[in-house]
Amino acid sequence: MTADAPTPLWERDFPYEAAAEEEVTRREFTRYLVLGAGAMAAGNVGLAVWTQLRSINTGEPRPIVALADVAVGGTYLFRYPADDDPAVLLRVDEQEIVAFSQKCTHLGCVVYYEAEARRWHCPCHEGNFKATTGEVISGPPTRRLGRIDVEVRDDGQVWALGARP
Amino acid sequence: MSIVRRPRGTSSAVIVYVIILVSLQVFTVTVAVEAFLTDDEAIAWATAGVSVALAGMAAAFLRYLRR
Repeated sequence: MTADAPTPLWERDFPYEAAAEEEVTRREFTRYLVLGAGAMAAGNVGLAVWTQLRSINTGEPRPIVALADVAVGGTYLFRYPADDDPAVLLRVDEQEIVAFSQKCTHLGCVVYYEAEARRWHCPCHEGNFKATTGEVISGPPTRRLGRIDVEVRDDGQVWALGARP
Repeated sequence: MSIVRRPRGTSSAVIVYVIILVSLQVFTVTVAVEAFLTDDEAIAWATAGVSVALAGMAAAFLRYLRR
């Protein structure tokens, strides 16, 4: 098109100036990507520092229930480490007791004990955990149940000593 | 001052490498969050190290990109 050619009608109505368009070069685009990668790396380091420095409330030792009040093969519900943390104790046999957080590690539903199958069962998404270890048997959960260390003291009381993820 | 001419294909390759590295970074972020939620300090620090290394590699690739 020559310089003295009349401007077409469409160009007067919709002026499009390619030269004014802001062009992003490959190098600029890649620089943004690198900046993003750097930001994510900084975030990861921050998360690691936070994980290292924070203190999770693992609970203070306290009595839960008298061992005699829990039947062999029976369970006892309690709250630990805080009042809004449901937990459950299982008396496996005369000597052995175990306790776990009752929150399913999938989406936080409450698990309950299935005595026939000897497992913890989450009814929300059919997750199953081993009765004595809390390890995943089947279903969507990928992490074991939160463990609560317990012991029987001389007075026959079961004490919770602390919670572990 | 000499100008180093690199073939155009080099630029595309560098961008592809950087995009792959950034994608891996997104994966490391998910691993870091998982480690944070499970209070797994060892994985959190390992992830942070890998993430910093990936960012360093991405920055190094930037040098090879034609202007």
